[in-house]
Amino acid sequence: MKKIIFISLLIITHTFNLNLHAEYLDGNKILKQIDENMYSKTMVTTSRMIVHGKRRSRTMRVRSWTQGDTRSFSEYLSPPKDAGTKMLKIDDKLWIYNPQADRIIQISGHMLRQSMMGSDISYEDMMEDNETSEIYKAHTIGEEVFNESDCWVLKLTAKTDDVAYHTKNIWVDKEKIIPLKEERYGKSGKLLKTTEITEIMKIDKRWYPKKFVFKDVLKKGKGTEFIIESIEFDVKIPEIRFSKAALRK
Amino acid sequence: MVTKLALRNIFGSGLRTWLNIFILSLSYFVIIALQGFFVGWQEDATREMKEWDLAGGQYWQQSYDPYDPFTLDDSHGPTPKELQEKIKKDKAISILLTPATIYPKGRMRNIVLKGIDPQQKLLKIPTKHLRSDEDEISCLIGSEFAKKIDIKEGEYLVLRWRDKNGVYDAEDVKIAHIFHTTVLTVESNQIWIPLSQLQEMLDLPGEVTIITMKDENYNKQFQGWTYRNLDFLLADLKNMIKAKTVGSSIIYFLLLFLAVLAIFDTQILSIFRRRKEMGTMMAMGMTRPKIIQLFTTEGALHAVFAIFMGAIYGIPLLNYFEKVGMNIGMDAKEWGLSGLEDALYPVYGWKLVLGTIIFVFLTVIIVSYLPTRKISRLKPTDALRGKMTKKKVD
Amino acid sequence: MLKFLAKGLMRDRSRSFFPILIIAAGVVLTVLFYSWINGFIGMIISENARFETGHVKIVTRAYNELIDQKPYDLGLMNVDKKLNYLNQNYPNMNWQPRIYFGALLDVPDENGETLQQGEVMGLGVDLFSDNFERNLLNLENALASGELPQKQGEILLSQEVASKLKVKLGDNVTMIGSTMFGSIAMYNFIVSGTVRFGIQAMDRGAVIADISDVRSFLDMKNTASEIFGFLPNYKEEKTYAISKEYNEKFSYENDEFSDIMLPLREQGQMSFMLASVDQRTGIFIFFFLFIMSIVLWNSGLMNGIRRYGEVGVRLAIGESKGHIYRAMIIEAIIIGIVATIIGTAIGLVFSYLLQHYGINISSLMRDANVIMSSTMRARVTTECYFVGFIPGVIASVIGACFAGIGIYRRNTAQLFKELEQ
Repeated sequence: MKKIIFISLLIITHTFNLNLHAEYLDGNKILKQIDENMYSKTMVTTSRMIVHGKRRSRTMRVRSWTQGDTRSFSEYLSPPKDAGTKMLKIDDKLWIYNPQADRIIQISGHMLRQSMMGSDISYEDMMEDNETSEIYKAHTIGEEVFNESDCWVLKLTAKTDDVAYHTKNIWVDKEKIIPLKEERYGKSGKLLKTTEITEIMKIDKRWYPKKFVFKDVLKKGKGTEFIIESIEFDVKIPEIRFSKAALRK
Repeated sequence: MVTKLALRNIFGSGLRTWLNIFILSLSYFVIIALQGFFVGWQEDATREMKEWDLAGGQYWQQSYDPYDPFTLDDSHGPTPKELQEKIKKDKAISILLTPATIYPKGRMRNIVLKGIDPQQKLLKIPTKHLRSDEDEISCLIGSEFAKKIDIKEGEYLVLRWRDKNGVYDAEDVKIAHIFHTTVLTVESNQIWIPLSQLQEMLDLPGEVTIITMKDENYNKQFQGWTYRNLDFLLADLKNMIKAKTVGSSIIYFLLLFLAVLAIFDTQILSIFRRRKEMGTMMAMGMTRPKIIQLFTTEGALHAVFAIFMGAIYGIPLLNYFEKVGMNIGMDAKEWGLSGLEDALYPVYGWKLVLGTIIFVFLTVIIVSYLPTRKISRLKPTDALRGKMTKKKVD
Repeated sequence: MLKFLAKGLMRDRSRSFFPILIIAAGVVLTVLFYSWINGFIGMIISENARFETGHVKIVTRAYNELIDQKPYDLGLMNVDKKLNYLNQNYPNMNWQPRIYFGALLDVPDENGETLQQGEVMGLGVDLFSDNFERNLLNLENALASGELPQKQGEILLSQEVASKLKVKLGDNVTMIGSTMFGSIAMYNFIVSGTVRFGIQAMDRGAVIADISDVRSFLDMKNTASEIFGFLPNYKEEKTYAISKEYNEKFSYENDEFSDIMLPLREQGQMSFMLASVDQRTGIFIFFFLFIMSIVLWNSGLMNGIRRYGEVGVRLAIGESKGHIYRAMIIEAIIIGIVATIIGTAIGLVFSYLLQHYGINISSLMRDANVIMSSTMRARVTTECYFVGFIPGVIASVIGACFAGIGIYRRNTAQLFKELEQ
């Protein structure tokens, strides 16, 4: 989940300084501009994740600390059953701490394929390296109106062959340069996952997604909703935060 | 002489002799039929497993462990040169395995995806239904698994996998054919697609997990591959059938016990009834061992005639079973037993028939002999008077 | 006359002892065989009932669709209310909520780092409120080491799992899974004992804990995967009747989370399996009784033939043929009854022993996924007390009848001569 927020934020953060030009802007340029501008060393967010189950929906509150695209730490604040659950990601390793058992478990093997906290995101999805313009080439393939906003439609193709999602289509708001919709495709072109931003907000002169829905298209269901409650940039995060010791605290 | 006399004696007793013989013949029949059933089962199951899955033995990529699904991700390697030649000559086929996910009814289910050459002729898996020339992926699926995920021929199934680099991909695969097999190892929780397509999908050109050999005991070592011969691959089946065979021997013993009980009964009574006859024979100069021999022979002759009687109704019946199969009245696959069809074709080898005959025969001789030991202490004087001698003769 | 005949039988050992011995032996076998077959069928039913099906079981319709995957996220809610209803309306039945779940069992080293990890199949049952499940699952007997969980937080591992993961009694282990709603769940258990079920499917990877622990582990408060119902004695018609009644009230086709009650025979392959087992055991029993009857008929026949000499004497002194014939048959009946009683008694002793101790057949069931105990036991039912009378009395009396016909066929002189022999 962090990842989704992160990506979305990453892309969105750069909308601010972006000047819009006419017709079919070079996709790579858009990505690049986003990349150049967006990077904040660290980020601390509080968000809600709403999982629509077959029977009922459930809301979880999470606080996340992110540094670059390799390290992140998140802590579940509610509901009571999940409160205190913490996850630490460093490079391609993932540890989960559960307060009830007071154990730190490294998630590996087929556990990674399972859904994270019942959402449409798998642990594997979480493990993906955060994409930047370095990973994808972009082509602007059109313009469309999405949710009453004029958007560029960008087709992103992975530059290397070890990127989890080979291609993506993103709909970027022409004015705010914020991707409002993202579709992730399998190598042979089947749509696998979608992210749709339903509400955006302005913080510190930057545009952010406030609400978005992430969905595993292959699975039955309504997808998982995310709502960002608060976000801070370039906060100093002590090194200890990204250590296993922090999981137990 | 003894045999002739014995023959006359036992036929003299008419109906009850025939009853004894009939019961004994049933023992022969049932033992042979049941043993044949198990031999037939083992042969059927072995044949089926060889035809569908094992052929003459397999090379496993060294990290492959069928009981540990975690190993699947890394269990692939290039086919050794020598084996590639074999594959070209249709003397071997290779199979690639990978974990994958399907979404029947929109619910995730983890499966094993298997790639096999559609042109292969080594295994019975109906790979001719697989088309690798079309754009879409066609797949084969076992009938039992198809039932579980509720899918029919011609329908599509969403399949998701990751290639060797972890890149996601997914495709709607068409169920080209649903096949029926008794061999669970090629049907449960798995889907078959063309090998070349799977290699392409995983970005693993030329790499495979299992190489199935046509020739048995093609036992050459190749770096990175472990050879598994049929003894290893069929060990579970053999053990199970062996145990079943042992378990079913309870029935033979009951039956044999009954038959032997009848013989024993007959012997004791005839010895009891024919004391005077024995006395007379002794008086006429027959030795005690000779008399014992006579009575034992009488008992044993039952077993001989039982062979003939058993043959009269047994051979046609067993032949019939062999041809039509014994209906075992259940779908053994439901029991998780591989290689067992609804009807089972028993196999009766000469070893089995001869062994059973000798076994029953010996048992009958022993049982016929046991009661006759009394004769050894019979005094002719007592016998003539129709008495049994209670104490041993010095 | 009965008294006279009885006396004769008692005094002439050859007239009573051997026939009784033979018939009794035959009856012992019959009783044993019958109780064995009984045990076999009973075992299939009870083993499946205990672990898989109950006599009836309640699940949600959605769960039933995917029942082979045991999806506890589609389990039953408001279980207490349901149990109340069930206990009130079916007071003679026992209702047990259970949770089946798959999880990872993680064994930590002294620093809390993962040492061993393995997949297990969990079973949450009520271990504490009464002894019902403990007895039903035969846990006391299945215990291979340690003791049953006495308090919350304790768990039983199958022997195989314990040795595979190198777990000792008293060790802390962590269960990792997902809650009913998909969140990651972890729960610590102390291994209180190891069990061997004698059921391959369970021995491979089962763990058992109290349902309260499993509920807090999987966030399944007041829920269960399945509710098992047990009759005091399994009766098929009853399971159907109860299911019909319950489903009419609570099962709605358009609500996938409404309940559905399934009788034992309607679950999985039970119907098919039981039908084939019924059929085959029927053939077996018939076959066995047939052969046994022939043997005992034969022995009855011989008893008669032996006494032709005596018959000759009795005819000579003026007894009517009919009278002798009747006397012989009454004797045969007395012998048959006495022998059958003796044989049944001995047979029952053995059957009870077999019922108690059983015979281990684990290697037979290695591959089977139908849950089945690897110890085969006999089961003594009321029929076992009577089944021996078919070959024991009827067959041996028929034998005597046939033998007696000889009396009519031969004349007195001939019979008398046989005495001379």
